[in-house]
Amino acid sequence: MKQKNRLVVSGRTDPNQPINFTFNGKPYQGLLGDTLASALLANGVNVVGRSFKYARPRGIVGHGPEEPNGIIQLGSGSATVPNLKVTQVELYEGLDAKSVNGWPSVNIDVMGLVGVFGRLMPPGFYYKTFMYPKKLWMTYEHFIRKAAGLGKTPTEADPDTYEKLNQHCDVLVVGAGPAGLMAALEAGLTGARVIISDEQSEFGGSLLASTQRIDDQSSTDWIAQTVSAITAMPNVQRLSRSTVFGYYDHNFLTILEKRTDHLGINSPQGARQRLHRVRAKQVVLATGAFERPLVFAHNDIPGVMQASSVSTYVNRYGVAPGEKLVLATTNDNAYQTAIDWYNSGRVVVAVVDTRQATNGPLVSHVKDLGIEVLQGYGVIQAKGSKRVRGALVAPLNENGTKVTGPVEQLKCDLIATSGGWSAAVHLSSHTGAKPIWDDAIVSFRPGISKQQERSVGACNGTFDLAQGLLEGALAGAEAAHLAGFGDGQVKRGMAIVNTLEEQPQQALFLIPHTLPSSRAPSQFVDLQLDVSAAGIELAVTEGFESVEHVKRYTALGFGTDQGKLGNINGMAILANALGQSIAETGTTIFRPSYTPTTFGAIAGRDIGELFDPERYTAMHRWHEQQGAVFEDVGQWKRPWYFPNQQETMHQAVNRECRAVRNSLGILDASTLGKIDIQGPDAAEFITRMYTNSYLTLAPGKCRYGVMLKEDGMIFDDGVCACISDNHYLMFTTTGGAAGVLAWLELWQQTEWPELQVYFTSVTDHWATATITGPNARHVMAKVCDDIDLSADKFGFMDWRDGTVAGIAARVFRISFTGELTYEINVSAHYGRYLWEKLMAAGAEFDITPYGTETMHVLRAEKGFIIVGQDTDGSMTPTDMNMDWVIGKKKTFSFIGKRSLERSDCLRDNRKQLVGLKTLVPTAVIPEGAQIVNDPHQPLPMAMQGHVTSSYFSANLDHSIALAVVKGGLNRMGEIVYCPAADGSSIAAEIVNSVFYDPKGERQHV
Amino acid sequence: MSESLQPQPRFESPSHYVRGRHSGNAQSVTDAGLVVTEVNNGCYLNLRGDASNAEFNAAVLSVLGISLPLMPGTFVANDTEYLYWLGPNEWLLVSAQPGQKREADLRAALNGHIAVVDVSGGFTQLNLCGPSLNLVLKKSSVYDFEEWWIQPKNDQRCVQTTFAKASALVIGQSQGSFAIIIRRSFTDYIAQWLLDCAADNGCFISP
Repeated sequence: MKQKNRLVVSGRTDPNQPINFTFNGKPYQGLLGDTLASALLANGVNVVGRSFKYARPRGIVGHGPEEPNGIIQLGSGSATVPNLKVTQVELYEGLDAKSVNGWPSVNIDVMGLVGVFGRLMPPGFYYKTFMYPKKLWMTYEHFIRKAAGLGKTPTEADPDTYEKLNQHCDVLVVGAGPAGLMAALEAGLTGARVIISDEQSEFGGSLLASTQRIDDQSSTDWIAQTVSAITAMPNVQRLSRSTVFGYYDHNFLTILEKRTDHLGINSPQGARQRLHRVRAKQVVLATGAFERPLVFAHNDIPGVMQASSVSTYVNRYGVAPGEKLVLATTNDNAYQTAIDWYNSGRVVVAVVDTRQATNGPLVSHVKDLGIEVLQGYGVIQAKGSKRVRGALVAPLNENGTKVTGPVEQLKCDLIATSGGWSAAVHLSSHTGAKPIWDDAIVSFRPGISKQQERSVGACNGTFDLAQGLLEGALAGAEAAHLAGFGDGQVKRGMAIVNTLEEQPQQALFLIPHTLPSSRAPSQFVDLQLDVSAAGIELAVTEGFESVEHVKRYTALGFGTDQGKLGNINGMAILANALGQSIAETGTTIFRPSYTPTTFGAIAGRDIGELFDPERYTAMHRWHEQQGAVFEDVGQWKRPWYFPNQQETMHQAVNRECRAVRNSLGILDASTLGKIDIQGPDAAEFITRMYTNSYLTLAPGKCRYGVMLKEDGMIFDDGVCACISDNHYLMFTTTGGAAGVLAWLELWQQTEWPELQVYFTSVTDHWATATITGPNARHVMAKVCDDIDLSADKFGFMDWRDGTVAGIAARVFRISFTGELTYEINVSAHYGRYLWEKLMAAGAEFDITPYGTETMHVLRAEKGFIIVGQDTDGSMTPTDMNMDWVIGKKKTFSFIGKRSLERSDCLRDNRKQLVGLKTLVPTAVIPEGAQIVNDPHQPLPMAMQGHVTSSYFSANLDHSIALAVVKGGLNRMGEIVYCPAADGSSIAAEIVNSVFYDPKGERQHV
Repeated sequence: MSESLQPQPRFESPSHYVRGRHSGNAQSVTDAGLVVTEVNNGCYLNLRGDASNAEFNAAVLSVLGISLPLMPGTFVANDTEYLYWLGPNEWLLVSAQPGQKREADLRAALNGHIAVVDVSGGFTQLNLCGPSLNLVLKKSSVYDFEEWWIQPKNDQRCVQTTFAKASALVIGQSQGSFAIIIRRSFTDYIAQWLLDCAADNGCFISP
């Protein structure tokens, strides 16, 4: 296959290694070392996409992350990747890419001919057109996106893996161009830990495409020598294909390293991408600069390119993207492109320079080559449709604001433009440093640094190579010194570079046309989003002045290229329209990400089963083996219910509920929070935290307590046991454990440091098996012979030390079921053994393992609340009908006490906890159902409260519910209704919240 | 004691159900990029007390034969006792002695406002070694462990920090190996994490 634009001198590509690829369904061949962009240009592919609004054909403009047009979708199926830039995709065998902007195809002009969207979409189009009717927005949106084409997200799961790495270094160097390499070299020589990161496939930056000689060597040799010196230092970590895309507070930076993208999709070798989360003591930014395109009429026709990009394709990739070049420039620097093109053996039609008189050495050199130089001229319009066919040039006035003479046409197929260079101040701007405009260099410079960082080389506005190398070296030594390494002095001699002196450039952004911008053919500023000079001027006419407002009104810089080419021109045109300077106009703030970042890399391995830790109890595997269905409680996995074969959840729960009331059940209660509390003031402290008192609680005794926040609302509940004098064990809810411990520490450390008390979490230490039911004592007697189990020696709300199944244990007679219950705590190492022994000992009583659902039903039968289910942070103990838990005689206050006296907490129509008994025994009210007095009243109905818990109770053979109802405690016996969305409603009687064994006789045995 | 009981209760360490598991191409301790070995002899005791109280320090020294580490992020050890600094008034004692005995020893020697809590069932120690260790630590924690290798100090170092999405006491050991002391209920998660993040060069959990 012929690559018609491939040069004999192939640059850094390898002519012996052809690579086959497909673009928009058509096969092509490129070379190893090509990007997709250089390979497409080598094959003479002009049109790579269609523009967003006008569907105009677009070609490749740049050679890096600034590329606005060459946006492609890579691959298909699950591994498809949208919105990549052709300039950043390295070619690999079998690569398959499609334009994202182009419907039905980039080469068919349906949209372009109709031009529907261009006419319909002036600046502010979204705001103007889509205000009303609101409901049509989704329709508009869908149509526009389809037409514009913004890439497709894969519909299947991503087959690739991604990972995150936390890195620390003394000096992070961003960018491995000439300045960055010098910085890394000098910092590395001090022994400091250095990371140098560059987004290209190889180090060297702009030098990779340069014909400049350094230290009497070619750029290529200088790069090789410098990189090998850096490679020899084990303290320097090199990251290529790695983009620093965010710079955050505390010198925290994020790097996206593309590890296998260049090998092809579905590559099997480890993580596709790595997100490096870097904490750097010092940062050196050497991110380079972007050449600024010139804005002129129809400057979007394929074949209009960046001058530096043309040089890059010629020198680095051995590709000449055309035959006949017209170079449009405002500066000397771009003359190098004419020289490079000339050396490639193709025709330079003319250099069109907006400056009236220039005679620097570069200019003279070009003239000496016999190339025509038009001084005081501008390219005012490109001609052509899918490819440039000519350039309209005209003489300009000295300021470059007016066409002053006749227009003539130059025949050409390539227009390279340069309006000077814009420093890449993006990362510096991420830190909050506001870029400062500098008229001398016609560019923003980094603002005053807010972090431990400095910018060097082109991103600092230092466009001269020799100066950039020096700045890099100095910064590397300085950064290392500030991080504690070296004396801050540069170790290597200064590089010798023979650069030709450049004459002053002209600050010109928009080349005038014979017609005003509003009438001239479109002069594009932001190619990706079709923002034109006329559009920006219109925004000003319509009253927009702030650069941030104009950005949003016109969409300037909103594309995936983030306006890397268009922003400065846009601001300059805005400044001109406002009649003020660029410095006064300022720039928009750059924010992360610098380039698009995959969600996969941000997620890393925290996906699937590693998304959130699963906490297991010591008995977990036993539950699994029994076929338990699990429920997430915080991070814990708790058995929800234990279905026998063929059993539904409902059947299993009914069976488990009956087993507990009739014989014996066993529950894994290991997940309950447990806090060991020791110290002379332990009882006093606990008494301040709970609503009731613990000052008189004797060793061997337990007490139930409720904890409030300062607002008097229930926060947690549980049992607290006195282990010995000055030693207590507090149980918390499973989900509340960490919060309660933090709460205790907060009050002890900040409010009552004078109280001598220590807290230690023992949640993980104890495994807890709860056996409950009328036969619990019989089983205990079989496995424990050193505790007197008689009711008068070991009664309800007592605890005892003893030996259970041969294991040292603490046994508590506390009950959440209302039945005779022993909660047996042993060191978790023996948890499963204990469980198995209890199962064996209980076999004769049909001991039945049960899960959280049965636990919930049984406690609801008893009217025991669950904090967080029956309460929601707005409920006092009084609301829960639990006045009995509030200590009235405590000498010291307790947290929340004062709030309980607020008038709002005392009003009698607060929502109060009651039971609901449905009139139809089998009708189970949905939890969360609203309660009304009359289900036939007009909407909106007057709400009386809501259902907090609702179950079918197998033991009562009746549906039961707990609910909070306004003034409910005084409404016993009333009938209320729970309406459903389908218009039906369930009627229920308000009853006491205790449905079963109201006197508590079953647990006092 | 009742007949149904076996004389010796069966002990299951926190890593009981993950021992012997491996990832990548690792089949044994010799070919794995990361070798994980659970060490669980003796007891874990949480110790609280006033470090500025000379009596308290002296009593700890007399019982354990080692001094309390007072420098944040350090530990002190002899052959059988390890004392890790957890906070200004909090230490973790890992002892080869049984927990009940060590707790009793300390309670007998210590006076005033102190706390000793046996948390043996709640923790386990995983030793980590192998060529993937540095990478695994970078993937697992935001803490700068590389610095421990670059700038060794006289004190032995440990730190409580995040480890994946759990927490761990991470301990620097000799010859570039590390140990983590983690909560029992997170052991399966941590094991899964280690198997995953060291999979490229293989991870092996010692049986």
